[in-house]
Formats: sequence, C-alpha cells, structure tokens
Amino acid sequence: MRLGLVIDLDVCVGCHACAIACKEWNASGTIGPLSDYQPYGAEPSGVWFNRIRHYEMDEYPNNKTINFPMSCMHCEDADCVTVCPTGASYKRAEDGIVLIDQDKCMGCNYCSWACPYGARELDRSSGTMKKCTLCVDRIYDQNLPVEERQPSCVLTCPAHARMFGDFDDPDSAVSRTVRERGGYPLMPELNYNPTNQYLPPRRKPVIPVDTQPKGGLKESIKQFANKLVRR
Amino acid sequence: MNAKIKLENHDAQEIKYTTCYMCACRCGIKVTMEGNKVRFIQGNRNHPTNQGVLCAKGSAGIMKQYSTAKLTQPLMRKPGTERGEGIYEPISWDQALDVLTDRLEEIRATDPSKLAYFTGRDQMQALTGLWAQQFGTPNWAAHGGFCSVNMAAAGLYSIGFSFWEFGAPDWDYAKYFIMWGVAEDHSSNPIKIGLEKLKRKGGKFVTVNPVRTGYSAIADEWLPVKPGMDGLLAMSMVHVLLKHEKFDYEFLVRYTNASWLVVQSPGQKGDGLFLRDENDHPLIWDIEKEAFKNGIDGDIAPALFGEFVAPDGRRVKTVMSLMVERYLDPRYAPENVALECGLPAESIERIALEMAHVAFKETVELPIEWTDVWGRKHDKVVGRPVAMYAMRGIAAHSNGFHSCRAIHMIQMLLGALDAPGNFRARAPYPKPIPPHQLPENNIDIINAPNTPLSRPPLGFPTRPEDLVIDEFGNPLRIDKAFSWEIPLSSHGMMHMVITNAVNHDPYAIDTLILFMANMAWNSTMNTANVQDMLRAKDPDEPGLYKIPFLVVIDAFHSEMTNFADLILPDTTYLERYDTISLLDRPISEPDAAADAIRHPLVTPDRDVRPWQEVMVELASRLKFPAFTKPDGTRKFSGYKDFIVNFERSPGIGFLAGWRGKDGTKSLKGEPNPNQWEKYIENESFFAHHWPDNQKYMRYANKDYLEVAADVGFVGKVEPIIMQFYSEPLQKFRLAGQGLYDGPQPNNQVDRERLVKYFDPLPMWYEPLEQQRVDADEYPFFALTQRPMFMYHSWDSQNVWLRQIMAQNYMYMNARKAAEMGIKDFDWIWVESHNGKIRCQVKTMEGTQENTIWTWNAIGKQKGAWGLKENASEATKGFLLNHLISELLPEKAGERRVTNSDPVTGQAAWFDLRVKLWKAAPGETGSWPQFDALKKLPGDEYDRPDVLRYDARTHEKN
Amino acid sequence: MHPAFSVIFFTVASGAGFGLISLLFIADFFKLGGGFNQDQLVAGGLMAMALVVFGLLSSTFHLANPKNAWRAFSRFRTSWLSREGVFAVVFMPLALIYLVSIIFDAPQWLRVSSGFLTAVMAWITVFSTGMIYACLKTIRQWNTPLVPANYLALGYASGSLLLLLGAVVAGLDTTPYIAMSALIMAIAAVLKAIYYFWIRSPGLSPTINTATGLTRAKVKLLDTGHTHGTFLTQEFGFQIARQQASLLKIVVFVLGFIVPGLMLVWVFNQESVQTAAIVAVLAGIVGAAVERWLFFAEARHVVNLYHGAQRC
Repeated sequence: MRLGLVIDLDVCVGCHACAIACKEWNASGTIGPLSDYQPYGAEPSGVWFNRIRHYEMDEYPNNKTINFPMSCMHCEDADCVTVCPTGASYKRAEDGIVLIDQDKCMGCNYCSWACPYGARELDRSSGTMKKCTLCVDRIYDQNLPVEERQPSCVLTCPAHARMFGDFDDPDSAVSRTVRERGGYPLMPELNYNPTNQYLPPRRKPVIPVDTQPKGGLKESIKQFANKLVRR
Repeated sequence: MNAKIKLENHDAQEIKYTTCYMCACRCGIKVTMEGNKVRFIQGNRNHPTNQGVLCAKGSAGIMKQYSTAKLTQPLMRKPGTERGEGIYEPISWDQALDVLTDRLEEIRATDPSKLAYFTGRDQMQALTGLWAQQFGTPNWAAHGGFCSVNMAAAGLYSIGFSFWEFGAPDWDYAKYFIMWGVAEDHSSNPIKIGLEKLKRKGGKFVTVNPVRTGYSAIADEWLPVKPGMDGLLAMSMVHVLLKHEKFDYEFLVRYTNASWLVVQSPGQKGDGLFLRDENDHPLIWDIEKEAFKNGIDGDIAPALFGEFVAPDGRRVKTVMSLMVERYLDPRYAPENVALECGLPAESIERIALEMAHVAFKETVELPIEWTDVWGRKHDKVVGRPVAMYAMRGIAAHSNGFHSCRAIHMIQMLLGALDAPGNFRARAPYPKPIPPHQLPENNIDIINAPNTPLSRPPLGFPTRPEDLVIDEFGNPLRIDKAFSWEIPLSSHGMMHMVITNAVNHDPYAIDTLILFMANMAWNSTMNTANVQDMLRAKDPDEPGLYKIPFLVVIDAFHSEMTNFADLILPDTTYLERYDTISLLDRPISEPDAAADAIRHPLVTPDRDVRPWQEVMVELASRLKFPAFTKPDGTRKFSGYKDFIVNFERSPGIGFLAGWRGKDGTKSLKGEPNPNQWEKYIENESFFAHHWPDNQKYMRYANKDYLEVAADVGFVGKVEPIIMQFYSEPLQKFRLAGQGLYDGPQPNNQVDRERLVKYFDPLPMWYEPLEQQRVDADEYPFFALTQRPMFMYHSWDSQNVWLRQIMAQNYMYMNARKAAEMGIKDFDWIWVESHNGKIRCQVKTMEGTQENTIWTWNAIGKQKGAWGLKENASEATKGFLLNHLISELLPEKAGERRVTNSDPVTGQAAWFDLRVKLWKAAPGETGSWPQFDALKKLPGDEYDRPDVLRYDARTHEKN
Repeated sequence: MHPAFSVIFFTVASGAGFGLISLLFIADFFKLGGGFNQDQLVAGGLMAMALVVFGLLSSTFHLANPKNAWRAFSRFRTSWLSREGVFAVVFMPLALIYLVSIIFDAPQWLRVSSGFLTAVMAWITVFSTGMIYACLKTIRQWNTPLVPANYLALGYASGSLLLLLGAVVAGLDTTPYIAMSALIMAIAAVLKAIYYFWIRSPGLSPTINTATGLTRAKVKLLDTGHTHGTFLTQEFGFQIARQQASLLKIVVFVLGFIVPGLMLVWVFNQESVQTAAIVAVLAGIVGAAVERWLFFAEARHVVNLYHGAQRC
C-alpha cells in the first residue's frame, strides 16, 4: 500500500478547517501534545502538521487566488528518512507512511532540512521533531466506524478538497482522480517521489449565449406581444 | 523498525452529539469526551446542515472551551469607580438577580419602554423576543439591523423567502451559480459543500465581489464590482434579459405579480397602488375573457403587458409594462453602467445571457407529480438551474434593500425560484409577502405598566398605519425602528441604540441589557466615540450616566463587558441546554424542516449560568403571564421545562420533533415530557424530510401549503404571489408625497426620503453617505470581512485560531499601491469623514482598484479576550469601525439621520469612503490605542508561555 | 538557513582540529623544519583533539533532545550526519593511540600507521561534515561537491595556521610550514572563490511556479496562513541582503586569506614572528567563522518558495 492524499486546488477555499482538525486530533493523538508558544502573548505560534498558504496567480483583473494546503507528502524516496542519524524517522513498508519515533528523535532538525515541503516541525517542549502521521492512529483504529477511519483533515474538509487512499491501487479513487484530473506532485525535480498529489484548478466552463437583439430599446415594449398563458 | 502506535483509549471516552455554536451555521457535531475534557470535535455525518464536515472554528471549539477569557462569576462595578474603568467586585447570583429583578420590576411597573434589551449574534430570538414582549417593552431586537436585514427584508417583501437562513441554493441540480457580495465566511459549511458539488458536476461559478479571497478564490469568473454598485449591475442584467426577451413568461404569469395592474394617476391619491376589486383583490386583465379578473385566482389568462382603462376611468398598466419601461431605459444598458460598476460591458451582457442560456436551454426536469395551489396537477417539476446567493456585500449598503430586490428580480424573470437547481426555500419559509406579523404599535399597550405587548416588538409593516410612532409621528422605539426615518426596519436597529439612548432621542431609558454583543468594539460603528458615550454622564442628573444601568451578559471578557454595571456570566455552548428552533432562525434545508438542541457535555468549573436559564428565572420572578400560573406561582421550573411545555399555539412549541405525549408526532403535537431525551438519543437534531411532491414550488404547492398551514408556518393555504412591484413601498411613498389616506410624515427630511427611496420597483441610487462625501477627497471604498476561520466566532482569537491570524492588514490593489509608492508592510493613515486610523498595508492583486479592505474584529483592546496586553491583536491589529459613523455626515438644516438603508435600517457599513497616505517614518503600531482592560476578579487563569493541550487521561508523550 | 552559533563553532573548531592533527602527522613524519619534539607533538595533538571534542560537544547544544544523541550512530548506512559521528568517534581512539605511541616512543610502524590512520580519519570526518550539507537537494547552494571541498580546504587551512604557530613557538625552521600554509590557503581561497562565483547563479533552481505547480502565470504569495513566525520561518526564513553578503565575502577573503597570507610573509621575513603567527591564526579562524556564518546565511531552502520567495 502507498497511502497518501489528493488535494484539489480547484475547490479548496482556504478555510483552514483541515489545519485545525489536524491540530485538534493530533494534540491528543499518538504524537501529541503539540506545543503552542506564546498562546496568549505577543506572537502566538505553535506546532502544526498542516498549513494552508494562499497565493495569487496572474495580475488584476485576471488574477486567481489559490489556496494551498500542505502537509507531509509521504515521499517514496524520502530524504528526511535517509538523512536521519538516529533512525527516528522511518517509512513504513506496509503503507508508506513516514513517521517519527518520538522515543528515538534527538531533535537535530536535520530531517526538516531535507524536506522541501516544510512538513516537519520541531516541538521545542519535547525536543522532538513532529509531523503528519496521516492519522495513523485513526485509519487503523478498529473501534472507529469504517467511514471515519480517515485522516481528520480529510474527514472534516468542508469543500471535499481532500481525498485519502492507496496510490498503489490503480483503481482506487485517489489514483483514478489523479489520472482524470491531471494531478501532479510538488517539486518532482528533487526526485523524492512524493505520494500526495495536487489537482490543478479547472478551466472555466464555456457557456454558449443566444442573443435576440431587438430594435430600439424603449420602443421595443410594443414588440412584446401578450401570449395566452393560463395560470 | 516501526514504533508502536498508541491508539485511543476508547474505554475512557464517551461520544456525544450536540450542535456547534462557533458561528451561526449551527452544524451538528460529534464530540468525543475523555473525562470532563474534550478530546475531539468533528462533524456529524447525519446532520442536514454539515453532513459530517466541520470548519476550522468548529474544530477549534476545544480552545473556546478552555479559553482564558471565560467569565467566572457575576460581577458588579465597584461602587465609587467610573464606568469603563473596569473595576469590579464579585457578587453572588442571588444578589445579582435580586438587583436586576428590583430594577426591572420598577421599570415594568412604571414605564416598560425604559428597558432596552438587545441581543447580538444569539440564536434564541424566539425566547428573547417572547421575554421582551412579556415584559412589555417595544425596545427589543437582535443584531439583524446591523447584519443582514436588507437581505431578509428584500426577500420577504419580494419572494417570500430570502438569502441566509430562509433559503439555499439547490446544489444538487444547479448548473450556474452567482454569488453576490458574499464575504468569505457566510453559511460556512453548506456553501463549501455546495460549491464543490457544483464544480464537480461542471457547473459554472461566478462571483461578484470587490475582493477575491475565500469562496471567490475558486470562482470560474470574478466580477470585481465597485462596492455599492451591485444593484446597478443586477438591473443592467435585467436590461439585457428583457432586451433579448429572456424571461420565463409562464412563471411570471403564474407565480408573480408581473401581470397585476397598477393605477397610473400621478399626483393623485391611489397612484401606483394595485387596481383592486371590491374585495381588495388585485386585478389583472384577462385576455381570454377580456375582463378585469382577480389576480390571485387560478382560472385566469392575464395580459403580461399592456395599458388599460379601469372601470372607474383610471389608467392602469401591468407591472411588467412598468418594468420594461424602466429597465429597458438606456440608463441600464451595460455600456452605460460599465464605468460605474467598474466592469466591462461585455461581461455584464455575457453573464446575463449565460444565465438565460442555462435557465432556458439546460432546464432540469424531474418526474415528480405535484398539485398547485389552484388544484391543478402537474406531472413534473421544471427547474431553471441558475442559483444565486447574496449576503453582506449587498446588504451592508444603504442601497442594499433595492439591490437585493434587483437580484430577486433576476431570479423571478428567470423563473429560478424554489425549483430544482435554483434558489430554494427553507422551512418555515416561504411565507406570505411580507409575513403576516406586525410590530406592536398600540401606544396604550406599550405604555401600560405590567402588561405584555399584544404582538411581538418586531414585524413587517405593510403601510404607514403599521409604524411604531406616536400621534405626532415620533418614534416609540429607542432605536427609532418602524419610524418615518426607517419604516421597514424589521430587525430593529441595534447600531443606533447607544447613540439614541445617550442623546435621549427619542427619550431616555433606564436600563440597557446587552446579550452577546460587542457594542463597545467591533460590533458597533464609531467605536471610540461609542465608548465615550457609554461613559457619558447626564448633566441633568448628576452622578447618573446617560444610560443609567448597563447589564452585559456574555461568556467571555469582551471589550463590552468592561462597560457593564452588572456582568452576568454565561456558559459556553458545550455547557448548556439550548434550542435551535423553527420559531427562530431555522436550520432547515430545502429538503427538510429541521431544528436542533444543545445539551451540556462539560460541567462548568465556574459560577456561571446559561442566560436562557436566567431569563426564565427573571420571567418567573417578574411574573410574566406566559411564565406564571393563574395562582401566581411559576409555571416552569427552568429552561428545559419551559422548552418542553411552552406552546406558542396549541401543539406548536420551540421544538418540532418528537411531540405528542408519546413522542410520535412531528412539527405539531402536545408537549412531550421526554422531548429532550428523544433529541439527545437522536444526535440532538430533528429533521422532517419533505416528500418529493412537497419539495418544490412551495409558494404555490398545495400539498406543501396544507402542511405549512397546519403546523403554523403560514396562516392559511393560499398562493404566495411573488412581488416584483411592492405595494407597501408605494404606500409609504404616497405618504411622503402627501397623497396617502392615513398617517403622513410632517418632517421634510422624512418626506424626501420616502419619495426618493420607497420606489415600488427595484432602483439604484448612490449610497447615502457617498452622496455627502467628496469622492475626490476620499477616493477609496473601504470594507471589511471576517476570515473564514473566525467568522461569527464571537470569542474569536482563541489559541489555535489566533495563530493563523493575530494581526490584520489593510489590503489594497498592488498596482494602485505601487502608483502611490506604498509597499507591503508600510504603515499608513486611513481617514474618513468620521476619523482616522493607522494600520499596516499588504498589497494584493485580488482587490478592486478603488477599494481597500481588512479583516474585521482581529484588532482587540489591550487586555481583552484573555490575551496579554502585548498581543499583536492589540498592538498592531486595528478596527475599521472607528472610521464608520452611525450617523450620516451633517447636512445644513437637517437633523442627524442614521447611516443606514432608508428602507430597512440596515447599517451601511460598506458605504465608507476614505483617503490614505503613508505614515511618517517611525510612526508604527496601530492607532488609536485604548487603555488596557483590567483583569477581572475570579480570573485566575494560568497563561503559560507554552501550552500543551492534551485531553488524554492515559499515557502521554 | 538560520546560522546557529553552535553549528558554526562546531564546524570551524572541529575542522581546525582535524586539519591540525592531520598536518601534525605530516610534519612529524617528514620532520618538517627539523621536526617537533615529543612534548610539542603531544601538545599539538591534544590541542587538536580539544578543538575536535569541544566542537563535537558544541554541536550537541543545538540538539533539542540531547538525551537521544547516542542514537545518532545508528544510521551509518544512509545518513552523513550519522557517518560523521561514527567517523569522529573512530578518529578519537586512533588519535589517542598515535599520541600515546609518541609519548611512549612506541615502535615507528605503530606511530606511523596510527598517525596515518588518524589523518585519514580526520580527512574523512571533515569530508562527512561537508557532505551533511552537500547531500541536501533542498538547498541548491549546498548541493555541490564544492561544499565538502571547501570544508576540507578551510579546515586544513586553519589547521595549517595553527601548526605554523606551533612551529614558531617551537622555534623550528618555519619555511616548510609557511609553504604548506600558503599552498593550502591558496587552494582554499580558489575553492571559495569558485563557490561564491557559482552560487550567484547555481544553475536551474526551483521557482515559486515549479514549487506550486502553478506555471501558467506569475505567482505571488498572498498569505502564509500564520501571522507570526513558525519553526519553518525561524529555521529557514533567514535572509541576508545581497549587499551585506558581498561585504562579508570581502571580510572572509581579507581575514581568512589575505591577512594570514600577509602574516606568512612577515613570518618568512622574520618580522615579529610570534605576533604575526598569532594574528594569522586568529584572522584565519575568524575568517573561517564568518565564512561559515555566510555559508548558512546564503543558503536558501526551497521551502522559502512556499513562503513567497520567487526563486531559491
């Protein structure tokens, strides 16, 4: 299995629901708690696994705003794993999820340097690196209803801009969607072979218009004939 | 080697269902509790509103529950300290209730109008309104007047339902969707769910908005309209539709008043009113029978166009003829409005024609048999799949009522209402146009001590006689709602309460109760001056404030609580019982009538009480008739008991589900003592799914209307004919012209406003403030919106959400900024006719060139909301509110008039014009700044530098 | 990249230490300038080891969770950081054997072979340090063989200056030491110059368009989704103005190469020999530290593209 996410940039409205759902789940999840710094102070900050950035493409008035959620891509060739000196970072053979063993991490930040996507964040309180687990503590939890065995970001996304599935299965919904919609990985040139894929904004539908130009405007009222329409 | 993955300790957990209250969307939530701690909040998959999804606010509810801004106990302003100093002493609930009861008893026994009770973004207006009515004060309203009354009123005076809670796009079948002025926040989850559905199926999404963020980001086409020009744009689209004869002839004849005949006798009484028969029925010209016939009947073949002579010799024209005359005028041609709207004429014309194409060439037909109200059977429903939604961008202008009516006019022309794929009604709507509910205006009843009002304080006037004024034409309400100045202010005018009360205009009040409304900060216009007003003392009554007693009910330490004389601390939404009632602001969906409850999941750890509970308590102490048994003892033990047993009319109560003694009846039935338990068993909501034959065309759907009449949604089974032409408006206009048989205004300002703005057909005029402000001196429009992850999130700035945004910027068009030599993060001054602010700039492409805007309510007063004084919300965040006046700029020889829509009283937030310039070097930080709020007694919250929230009771990392 | 003081100190100090001990072995083997005596060799060796040890210790200061530092040896197969640790640890006993064999006049084969292995291990360790950075595809300015080459050259240059100072203090004939220093510094200067020239446009680099996949038009950041700094902005957001960088490059060359070069001439001319050697060492090491600071400061991690950088 090769589990990962599909992010649909065509419908992501940038609401940050996924980011907060992620924070909420993982705060008390297998990798939690997630520290928040200066929570009531001047410059609040904290550990997040999913951040939404907002971009603008092209110039006014042809500009388009693109909301861009990013989390761990669970790369096939994950340098964050190979560079880790302690073995805390690992990629699971069975499903491709990249995880960090909190009991082994020494907090050297090196893995975060190797990650081009900003997926890894150091928790300064625990001194360990943390990252998206693809909600590994949800997706295999037999005590949850089957339809809820999904990453919390996917579960919550109001615009259904996130899909979760197995990319090894060519018939899975994620594989099919990526094929149909021209999904692409980010920064493929680094050859990390990221699992997560992004669906580009669609081209706008073309709608034909039928015109029926009439003569003079104000006068045209006379051309409107009453039709016999019974209520 | 894989590490061991710790799974949930399900044994320590409990799943509960309740209703979210992080915004007005009111989604169903599934809450996992671990002990008394909230482990996880997620969307309830079965809930009609959110269908399992949940927004950022909903998930951040955890941090609301553990907010350090939570009030902990009732507080009284310390004797000897001044209001606004924020120095309080704790008092017990018993003392607090005694103080309040004594005061209210006195007011009620002397002059009930001296109590003003206004509520913010609450969702319990059915209860608060009942309470005020029982008290006997007309001075009650919620925040609709400064929120979206233009949308509600325009809809309810035009189509019988409206944008926001009374209608929704039919996402399942829509193929074309236009979103008008919807900030990136509204109707949070349903719109997001819907937009994705629409786009997935290849539908086109057009957004009309000066700013391209949020929903607009994913639009297929962006129309960056200039603020306040939407109505003109809509009317230009109407022009195009008429010019190309793109309208639904049958729909207009059957379901609208387009064929009704309007008397044309300028300068005479009765001009512009419908030609009516002796039974007051509006008449049409029947082209088969060649006779005037009752326009409400089914058996008619009306002329849609034409001019006729009535039997009494008066000339009459059809509404449609009047519309064609007006909107085909070159004034509304796309090329003639393009410059004003800031949009290419080509786009305006094309969008109108695209809509027409989808409406008429891509019709959706469902094989559903239904019967119309005139008794005819139809074998299918026909949907014009063009859906629309409109919100604050239309509403918050002083021309918003007409602009919104213009949008409804497009919907009516396209026949795109309450059918598959277009804009559909949500129960209890549609209602008669306007709804048959008039505001109490009997001065004797209003002035009578210890006497409830005979009708609710708010309603829908249809003629000057319905105004709430005295014999001299003076307002009877403190906010001047339903006065000549603002006749159709159906939601009241909360934004005027403090100003009017302080000016003793129209009269002085004794006590102001504010529930959940931050009227000293982001929910008021003119913030700095309003704070001064709240502190203002009465020169005639030394020692007394102009507003003598101010009670604030809130769960959190807001800027408003700082001005309270008495603070009553509320619970959070996870700590109390609550109803989201069909009598109130419904959560119904087009396919189902629905309501919901909340029930306590977390035990409060502080001395707080739900305001619902306190209101029932006060009502009992004050012996309101509806709350008191004939023997004088209290009727309800508390809120829960009240909700179960109160009946507005026999069988109709706050909750529609599981009624009847055994809980088997829906919508109507005797009280069920186990109703709460049934709701809790059923995930805290109730949905009555409409059968297919009652889902569409409900303004004329016999089967639906029969049910609606039975359960009290409508008074009786009769067609709801949509009103292009609004006769109530014309009656007020006649009064302004001095041609009305009934009350007429005696003030010139009022007369002019009625004549000018009470056009029975949608019109466009320059927003009122802009008529008085020099556009050359103040070249920019200035707007606000709330970010999606904070919208309606009244305690905003919670620990997680504030990390996303802890400072707002003033956004402006990048090219425009470059021309002015302004760069990202420059500090600038922004000035309006009312004041100036200093703030920091960010440039972007997605802002209309003449517009600047910012995120609202990010700026906080120092020390408020449980934050530290150096929070960037306070040092760098800012409010635009300081620039916005609640009054129009002065005009010589005229009394000061509210800065609101002249028809509905909707606060004209977005009419603001400003100028801006770069701040001098060294001028940094937001301005103005205010004194820091002091810590309240009982605030013993730890505010650590590192927070590590963890709900788990078992092993942690 | 955020230039962390502990890492700068670590790489400069350990580089100098590894360089010193390697060159010390060469000086010992060839008895350059008459050769150091036993005590002098031991003193030099201990000094080199001290630099290495303090450097390594300081490198653990930037660990957020040092109690797990011992685990850093476990991923020798894939991680250059792990390799560096392992090599450094292997280096220690070798260097100790070498010094012990000097102290106890051990047989020449033991002294030479342990010295040779020490020098090789020192070289490998410095190379590994360079590879820690050079192997990162995420940082174009680092992802080049020039980086380990630079690390080696600068480490050995610092070491050679220290060794020269030793020779001066020991009263040896300084000529071979001056020659060695001059040669290494020349190589280092050339390598550094090539590096600085190269990073001005390090080939095809990712842009905000390629990073987001939005290639149809110009892309600009509107909002990062968090008002204040995050781990990512703190760790990767460091930015240095082009002008400041250019100025610092001059400082690197002046302090790192020109001043020590001049001092070599002074020493050669037998003018205030000791002062000149001390100045050379100090200038060289400060120059190396500035170089190292700049090495981090100029590195642009690709994650910055997501934070609005147009190109990295």
